[in-house]
Amino acid sequence: MSDGKMQAQDQLDRLLADYFRPETTSPVDVGRRLAAAARESETALTRLEGKLGIEATPRGISLVRTGPAGKPATAAARKLTEQAREEIHEYLRGQRAFFRVPVDLVAVPDFQRKVLEAARLIPFGEARPYAWIASRIGNPRAVRAVGTALGRNPVPLILPCHRVWRSDGGLGGYIFGGAVKGRLAALERTTPVLEGCTSTRIVCRVGCIHGRHMRPDNRVVFASVDDARSVGYRPCKVCRPAA
Amino acid sequence: MDAERELMERVARGDQGAFGDLAQRYSGKLLTVAGRLLGSRADAEDAVQRAFLQCYAGAAGYNPQWAVSTWLYRILTNVCVDELRRRATRTAYDERSAARPLSSSNHRPPDAYLDLHRALERVPREARVLLALRYVDGLSYGELARIRGITINTVKSQLARGKALLRDELGKRGAGHE
Repeated sequence: MSDGKMQAQDQLDRLLADYFRPETTSPVDVGRRLAAAARESETALTRLEGKLGIEATPRGISLVRTGPAGKPATAAARKLTEQAREEIHEYLRGQRAFFRVPVDLVAVPDFQRKVLEAARLIPFGEARPYAWIASRIGNPRAVRAVGTALGRNPVPLILPCHRVWRSDGGLGGYIFGGAVKGRLAALERTTPVLEGCTSTRIVCRVGCIHGRHMRPDNRVVFASVDDARSVGYRPCKVCRPAA
Repeated sequence: MDAERELMERVARGDQGAFGDLAQRYSGKLLTVAGRLLGSRADAEDAVQRAFLQCYAGAAGYNPQWAVSTWLYRILTNVCVDELRRRATRTAYDERSAARPLSSSNHRPPDAYLDLHRALERVPREARVLLALRYVDGLSYGELARIRGITINTVKSQLARGKALLRDELGKRGAGHE
């Protein structure tokens, strides 16, 4: 290495060291208030989970509501409700960022189905305005109808109508109440989407069956599959995070 | 180091005083890493608080073979990287929509480092995270490897690539000013 190059290197090192110098600061207040808020949010969502009734056809989940649900008619339907219950359980605890269980929207009118399919495109942890859905389905003036269609979502949580907010940033209504909608937004804001296992060097979507057996100290979060690839991880073949 | 592990044991038993000590000891460094990665003080404080909460909740799962700092940095970088992901998808959406319904904050770095800050934004995320950890706390390649769950060779190549990119960017800007 030439002297000039070496000097440039030292300069960059010094600059970086200056830039990243730790600030002297008063400690962050990790007060009881925060911990209490976290606990409270958890109990509100746990309470919701306890009240949920789930119905399914052999093709998929057809209803998620608070209150009692009808008995599954077939073994396949029973299996699906069990799967949905488990996935919702993990989702509400921040251990799942996607749903695998199929939904059955056969009984849903065309317009509403389009609205729900559009809502499904909103990425985990994000929100879009009602107007976004309306223009997405090629009906930009039907904002109110979109709101109604989402309000009648037969499978809330699984189809994310809670990710549709008002254009002014307000939450808008929700089938389980505005408070739950806010809690879900907070939950998704703190749930990562991609995690890698440091021992297998495989990156999965959070909630993948592989992730369940991962030790906590083997978990690293990635921002994208490309990022993970760039440091030697490969995408999981089961949950296929790159798809 | 053993004193720190003892501290962690007390945290795991739910000792709030020990947790306060831990937070006091590390919050400065963690705030700097988060601040430099996320660009704003408010986001950094939010990330550090979330990291400490996760640390408190997961203290029982702490592996004593790890240095406490390594463990904390792992939790913090996990939080920060996820925040960067969210920001990337949000930006992509905001750019497409004229309405911009959800706030997209403009982060202002300290003026003295404006060039470096902008140059760092062009460095790929994984390399940027490693640079921050390397320069805030002078962590070794081994520690960096453990924090991000990658090999030491990957750490070295990512750092070298990041720095080469920075030199290029800063060179370009320097030339532009003259």
